[in-house]
Amino acid sequence: MVAQFTAGVGRRRLIKGGAALAALQLGAPGIIKARGETPIKLGFIDPITGSLSALAVSEVEGAKYAVAQINKSGGVLGRQLDLLVEDSANDTGTGVQKAHKLIERDQVDAIYGDVNSGIAYAIMGVTAEKKIFHIVPGGHTDPITGKDCKWNTFRICNTTAMDAAAITKTLVQKFGKRFFFITPDYAYGHTLQENFVKNLKALGGEYQGDMLPIAASDFSATLIKAKAYKPNVLLNNMGGLAQINCMKQFTQFGMQKEMALGGALFEIESVLAVPPEAQAGWWDMEWWWDQPGVPHVAEFVKDIKAATGKNYCSARHWFGFVGIHSFKIAAEKAKSLEAIKLVKALENEPLPPEIALQKEKVFYRAGDHQLMAGIFTGEVHPPKGDPANVFSVEQIVQGEEAAGSVASTGCQMAYPS
Amino acid sequence: MSSTDLGAAAKPAVPSAAGGRGGAAGIPFTTIIVWALLLSAPIWLPLIGGYTALASRVVVMGLVAMALNFLLGFTGQMSFGHAAYFGLGAYGAGLTLRYVANSTGLAMIDGILLGGVLGTILGALICKRRGVYFAMITIAFGQIFYYIAYSWDGLTGGFDGLRGFTRQPIGIGPLVIDIQNNGTLFYYFVLAVFALATGIMALLLRSPFGRTLLAIRENERRARFLGIAVDRHIWLSFSIACFFASTAGALFALLNNFADPTSMHYTLSGIIVIMVVMGGMRTFWGPLIGAAIYVVLQDYISSITVNWMSFIGLLFVLVVMFFPRGLLGMIKARSAQ
Repeated sequence: MVAQFTAGVGRRRLIKGGAALAALQLGAPGIIKARGETPIKLGFIDPITGSLSALAVSEVEGAKYAVAQINKSGGVLGRQLDLLVEDSANDTGTGVQKAHKLIERDQVDAIYGDVNSGIAYAIMGVTAEKKIFHIVPGGHTDPITGKDCKWNTFRICNTTAMDAAAITKTLVQKFGKRFFFITPDYAYGHTLQENFVKNLKALGGEYQGDMLPIAASDFSATLIKAKAYKPNVLLNNMGGLAQINCMKQFTQFGMQKEMALGGALFEIESVLAVPPEAQAGWWDMEWWWDQPGVPHVAEFVKDIKAATGKNYCSARHWFGFVGIHSFKIAAEKAKSLEAIKLVKALENEPLPPEIALQKEKVFYRAGDHQLMAGIFTGEVHPPKGDPANVFSVEQIVQGEEAAGSVASTGCQMAYPS
Repeated sequence: MSSTDLGAAAKPAVPSAAGGRGGAAGIPFTTIIVWALLLSAPIWLPLIGGYTALASRVVVMGLVAMALNFLLGFTGQMSFGHAAYFGLGAYGAGLTLRYVANSTGLAMIDGILLGGVLGTILGALICKRRGVYFAMITIAFGQIFYYIAYSWDGLTGGFDGLRGFTRQPIGIGPLVIDIQNNGTLFYYFVLAVFALATGIMALLLRSPFGRTLLAIRENERRARFLGIAVDRHIWLSFSIACFFASTAGALFALLNNFADPTSMHYTLSGIIVIMVVMGGMRTFWGPLIGAAIYVVLQDYISSITVNWMSFIGLLFVLVVMFFPRGLLGMIKARSAQ
């Protein structure tokens, strides 16, 4: 083997090879110069498989659209963005593993995720430990920007306290004070129901309810219980596929004739997946695509539909879009990618109209890093004209009004020294 | 008795199934290769797109798969609820760090004891059953622990899991090993625990007790006729496998700085069985190889496609159809020919 090698690679060839290697070394400074223009990596962790996948996919689509838009207009600080998407599979261990992967291997400058509040919570532990800028686009449980808030974490979607505060009064005024809750048994569900109950009790109401697994598919026992309780309103707090299954069974039982429907969130992805009889009730939308007269909204909706090939544009698309643009705003204001500088730059910074996409002032509150945006409350109905026209806005509640004070959230922001 | 590299890790000068060749010190080549790869992982893994936390995860999952293999591959009893003891180890370590003391050592001990002792107690009931009944009862007990962790929100954090704890640096006299902030040091800590556990496992398998387990696996009735207390040996094997599984679980909690009920769920038990079968369930190192394949494939393929489970499923089907002894079992069988 050695003899063959010696015969094949002669002295002259070795000298030529050495010269070529030396020439490569001379070219090295050019490569080093190019390193400054390597893309900025952003890591996006969401449950692209599992019961919350429809919501997660919309968030990722919104983020991809924003990345393409930003890259087309010159990037951030002169560098292109590179979005790395990882599937948490709706499993906390996998989500944490992916956070380690994105931070340690891919050296991302920011982490986004997760739709599942429990996973978002767990990822926060990793990003805080590694001091990485973190945005939670769609995990609602309150402690993320409440008692467990972290200096490096911002949140786009509302807290459950905000969503409950925005709709409870409407439900009581329209239907009555007797509620039945169907709630997922994890962080999001617990805090959401607690907040509904707090608001309901303040209005003199009463309630019963069931906590069910996050991916529950059979609701018959709970619906029978609800029927026996004879509530004025049934609040379906489940999310994603579980909420869709619950709605289908609710209509199969004919219960829509006996009680009103409502709750915090019935997102457009879920509304479009249920039969017309179940497209009903009074709910919150955390952003709504049909805002006549508001600049940039129609353009955004048109672009998202073109980019995704879908016939709707949802709040989740907006979450992903806002998340990426928030990073751009922070980086360009701070002129740095250092986490603490990004954080300071983003606090209280109002989002421009082409990102806010609503009349209300939209900004991340400095005290708890919660995005303050309008909450659209109204009625869900079968499509009218446009297939995505399944919601009529009755009022827009100001984010700060629904959120209450920073002190009431329990957040005590501690920055690294 | 079928061929096996029983005790290969600690059986000097015994021809291994890997071609019957020994290393310089009489240690089988498989063992030398496995340890060379494990010890040098922080060096070569980043070069092929890996990261240290992935290596730690492979070792942890490898240990729980080897724990199950102690029962399945070397005693012949199928447990579909082994994740429960893995999860109990994780909760034991997490609860200690969260509520008792900021001590990694104490957390490890508590985790190992919680899973191991509960496994031993339940093993006394389980060991009298055989076949499908043995498998069913292990699932049932496993799900009991899952639902306890799921429902006891105040203590365990419910479905969201137990958070609010962090692994702590280890102090040995004046020396402080910062496994909290240094991922590579933590990997070597995991590897040290793994070495200790697999060393004990190999010694047990080489002992008369280990030989008795093999006899039970091969022909339980004959073993009984020979006067062997079969139920008691299966109980002991189950108990030992639970102690090793909870050791892996405690390491898992330290790796992630959290513990959640899915680490006790029967789906994870199924995944552990897949790791064992893919790697080779009658070989000592096979389950570690199966765990490495599963964890690395999951990590890489899930970044490329949302249908990553289909690829893992396909690989499992192919292994079962074409390499029923698992990958390492197949390599050893070919080498033996």
